[in-house]
Amino acid sequence: MSEETKVIIGLEIHAYLGTESKLFCSCATNATMPNTACCPICLGHPGSKPVLNEKAVELGVKVGLALNCTINEDFFFSRKTYFYPDMSMNYQITQYEVPVAEKGMVTLPSGKKIRIRRAHIEWDPAALVHPSGMGKSNYVLIDYNRSGLPLIEIVTEPDLSSPAEAREFMNTLENILSYLNVLRPNTTMKVDCNISINGGNRTEIKNVSGYAAAEKALTFELARQKLELKNGKIIHQHTRAFNADTGMTVELRKKETEDDYGYIFDPDLVKVSLGKDYLASAKAELPELPEAKAQRLMKEFNFSEYDARVLCGDFNLGKIFDKLVEKKASPQISARILTRELLAVLNHDALLWSEVSVSADDFVGLVELIEKGKVSDKNAKAAVINYVSGDKSKPVEFLSKNNLLISESIDLDAVVVKIISSNEKAVTDYKAGNQKSLNFLSGLVMRETKGTASPQKVLEMLKKKLS
Amino acid sequence: MKREETITFFVEEARKDFSIVEKNLASIMQEAKVSEVKKLNYIEEFDAQNVVRQLVELKKSFAAKDSKYYGKLFGVPITVKDAICVRGLESKAGSKILKGYKPLFDATVIEHARNEGAIILAKTTQDEFGFGTFATNTIKVPKNPFDNSRSCGGSSGGAAGFTAFTKNYHLAIGESTGGSIACPASFCGCVGLTPTYGVVSRFGLIDYANSLDKIGAIAKNAEDAALLLEVISGYDERDSTSLKNGFVKEEGEIKRVAIIKDFFEPCDEEVKKVVKKKIEELKKFYAVEEVSLPLNVKYSLAAYYVIATCEASTNLAKLSGLRYGVQGSVEGKHFDEYFSEIRSKEFGAEAKRRIILGTFARMSGYRDAYYLKAMRVRTKLINEFNEAFKKYDLLLCPTMPTVAPRFDEIEKLTPMQNFAMDLCTVPANLAGLPHVSVNAGFSKNNLPIGLMAIAPHLEEKRLYSFARVVEA
Repeated sequence: MSEETKVIIGLEIHAYLGTESKLFCSCATNATMPNTACCPICLGHPGSKPVLNEKAVELGVKVGLALNCTINEDFFFSRKTYFYPDMSMNYQITQYEVPVAEKGMVTLPSGKKIRIRRAHIEWDPAALVHPSGMGKSNYVLIDYNRSGLPLIEIVTEPDLSSPAEAREFMNTLENILSYLNVLRPNTTMKVDCNISINGGNRTEIKNVSGYAAAEKALTFELARQKLELKNGKIIHQHTRAFNADTGMTVELRKKETEDDYGYIFDPDLVKVSLGKDYLASAKAELPELPEAKAQRLMKEFNFSEYDARVLCGDFNLGKIFDKLVEKKASPQISARILTRELLAVLNHDALLWSEVSVSADDFVGLVELIEKGKVSDKNAKAAVINYVSGDKSKPVEFLSKNNLLISESIDLDAVVVKIISSNEKAVTDYKAGNQKSLNFLSGLVMRETKGTASPQKVLEMLKKKLS
Repeated sequence: MKREETITFFVEEARKDFSIVEKNLASIMQEAKVSEVKKLNYIEEFDAQNVVRQLVELKKSFAAKDSKYYGKLFGVPITVKDAICVRGLESKAGSKILKGYKPLFDATVIEHARNEGAIILAKTTQDEFGFGTFATNTIKVPKNPFDNSRSCGGSSGGAAGFTAFTKNYHLAIGESTGGSIACPASFCGCVGLTPTYGVVSRFGLIDYANSLDKIGAIAKNAEDAALLLEVISGYDERDSTSLKNGFVKEEGEIKRVAIIKDFFEPCDEEVKKVVKKKIEELKKFYAVEEVSLPLNVKYSLAAYYVIATCEASTNLAKLSGLRYGVQGSVEGKHFDEYFSEIRSKEFGAEAKRRIILGTFARMSGYRDAYYLKAMRVRTKLINEFNEAFKKYDLLLCPTMPTVAPRFDEIEKLTPMQNFAMDLCTVPANLAGLPHVSVNAGFSKNNLPIGLMAIAPHLEEKRLYSFARVVEA
C-alpha cells in the first residue's frame, strides 16, 4: 500500500457582509439586546415582503471581483426550503441557479491557485439560544436579531490538499476581504469543510466557527478517515459536527443523497440587473488588493518578494506600513520592524488585531531612532514587545525611560578599556586570529552599556585598541 | 346605470351632509349582521367597535375638511378579502392555522383606501389561502345571493357575495391568483376588475402564489370598480414586484376585439348563448372577429397549477404554529413533530393537496420536468397573447364555463374537474394580463352569467371603457 495519502478538501465559507441594515428589511445589524432588531419581514409575518438591500449587492459584487470571479450581470434570489425553528419562514432566501459571482481564483502565498466555484448572497437564520448549554436546556430561545443578516457564502472547488493548505487559503481569503473592507467587524466566519482521501466518499463538517477550528477539524477528520481505511472500513458520505472543546468531529446524520431543498426562484423578488456601467465602475472603484500591492512594494522599494508578501499578507500590517511611509519613515526599516518584530510578537502571543492597540504614529519615532542608529536591534525588539504585550507604553517612551538609547555622552572609552583589561584570554585569542573573540568582547561592552552604545562604534574602538 | 348609483355620487353627497355616511354605514352594518344570522357567510371578521372608531375619526375629518374629506372614497364602507392584512384585525386568509393572527401593519391597499377617507368595514370569506373556485374550501362557505343553495364562486366569494347582497354604497377589495376576482364576480353578477400584475402593491397580502397574486376590485358597476382600482394602485417600494404605473380612470380606445373561440367550446350552451348575444350587441361599437389561442388552451392550466402550487407550498412552510396564529402544546415534542402536528390538524384538505403537489414539482429530479418547464411554458403563453394583441385591442370569452353550481354538484367534482373550471380565467392570470368580468345577462333560472374581457398589459382603461359599454 502506498504511504502517500491523497487528500481532497473543499470549503464553504460564510461571512457577514458589513451593511448597516439587514438583507431584506431596514432592521439594524448591530443590535445587542435580543429581539430588538426585528420586524414583520425578518420575522416572516404573513403579508410582509422582502426588499433587497442594494448595499449588500454592492459588497457581494466587490467580493466576486476581488476573487477574480465572473460577475453575473443578471442574477436571482431563490427559496431554499427546509423546516427549522431558527428559520422564520422555513425557507432561506439565497441564490441557486445564478449567483452574483462564479468561476474565480485565489492565489496562495505558495503560488498555488485555488479555484472558486461561486460566491452567493443569502440571509442568515435567527440564532437559537440554549440557556444552559446545548443538549442540556429543556427549552430553547430564539433571537431574531440575527434573522436576515446578510451573508456571503464563498465556495471553493476541491483544490486544497491538506488542512494546513486550507488554513493558508482561509488566511489569504480573509486578507483579501479585509482589503475590500466589506465584512462586518468582529464577526467570526463559519466554515463547512468537505474532505475525502484517496478518492473515497467525502464527509462534510458543518458550521465550524473560525479558521483555527476549521484547520483542527480537518486535521482530526483526516486522521480519523486514515484510521478507518487502515481498519478496512469504508467511509460513507455523511455530515459531521466539530466539537471545539474536544477537538473531535462526530457524526450528525447519514447523507445518502444530496439534501433536497426544493429550490424555486423567490417570486417576491425580481431579477437583479447590474448593467455594464455598474460593473465597470465597481471594477474601477476596487481598492488595491494584496497581490497588486506586493508587486508594487517590490518595485517601489526594492523589497524582497518574501518581505512584500508578508507585509501585504496581513491587511493591518500593510496599513501600518502605508501610514509610516506616508509619515516619511524609512520604508526599509519600517518593513523590517513590522514584519520581523511586530508580527513576531503577535504570532508568539497568538494575538488578534482586535485584541491589541497598535498605531502607526507610535512606530514613527522608533523607526527614526533605528535609522539614526540611536537604538540597538535588541532594544528596539524589547520596545515592540513591551508596546504590544507589556505595559503598552509607546516604544520611544519605553526606550528613554529605561535609558536604552544610544547615547553620545557615556564614556565608552572607559568601558572598552575596562573590558579589555578584565578579559585577557579573549584578547589573546583575538590577537591570535580568532574573530569570534572580538564579538565576545563587543557583546560584553554592549551589556555593560545596556545596549545604549552603537555596536559599530564599539567594534571600531575595540579593533583600534587591540591593534 | 344611473349616476345616483355610483360611489362618486355618494361621496359628493357625503361631503355636504355627514349623516349620509352615518346612515349608509348603519344600514350596511345591519346588513352584515343579517347576513350572518341567515348564515350567508360573507363576513369572516367584523369588529363593530373598530368600525365605530373609524366613523368618529371621519366625522372629525368632515369638520376639519382635511385631506380625507376630499378623499375619493370619503365615507365609503369597504370590505376586504381575508387574505389582505388590516392592522389589528384578525387576518387569516380563510385558514384555521392563522386563527388569532392580527397583523402589525396595514396592507398598502388599505393605507391607500384609508387615506382617501374609506371605512374598513369587515374581512370577507374566501377559500383557504385562495385555493379554490367555489369558496367551499374553508370553514365558512358563502352562499350565492341569487340562490342560497349555490356557490358565490371563489376564491373571493365573500367579497362578490356581499357586493351583490348589499343595497348600500360599498366597495370590495378582492384578490386573484388564477381567477379569484372574475369567477365570483361572474357568479354573483358583479363587476370584477383584475389589474396587470404589479399595478397594485402586494405588500400586506398573505401570499398564495406571489408571481401570480393580484389585488383588485369588485363592485356593483364598472365606474365604482375602476374608482377603487385607481385608489389602491400605484408604485410601492415595499413590494419589489410593484410597477411604476398606477391606474388612472380614463377612457381607453377600442376598435377591434376578438372572441377567443377555444375558450367558448367547453362552456355550457346557456353560457355560450347569453355571452354571444351580448357580443352581438357590441358589434355596433367594435369590429368583432375570432381568434384562437391553442397553446393557452392546451397548457395554461397545467403550467398554472405547477407554478402556483410550487410557490404556495413554500409560502405555507412558515405556518407551523410557532410565531403567530394557532399554537399547540410543545411539551415533550421534537420541533418536527410539533410542526407536523399543527399543520396536519389546521390545514384543510385542499391546502394539503397543493402543498404536496407543489413540493413534489420542485423536488430535485422533478423540478426540471415540472417547475422549470412550467416557467418556460409561461413565457410562451404570454407571447401567444402578445401576438393576438398586435391585431386586437381586447379579447373576449365567457368568464366561467357554467352558471354558479349548487353545493351538491360541487361535492361530486373530482379535483381535476374542479381545476378545469378555471379554463377561461387562468390564461390571463398566468400571463399577468388585466381583465374584467362584467354581467352579460342571466340564465333561464335567473343566475348571472359573466363576460370577460382581457386587455394587454397596463391597458386597464380599455377594460373600464368596455365594461361601461356592456353595462349600458
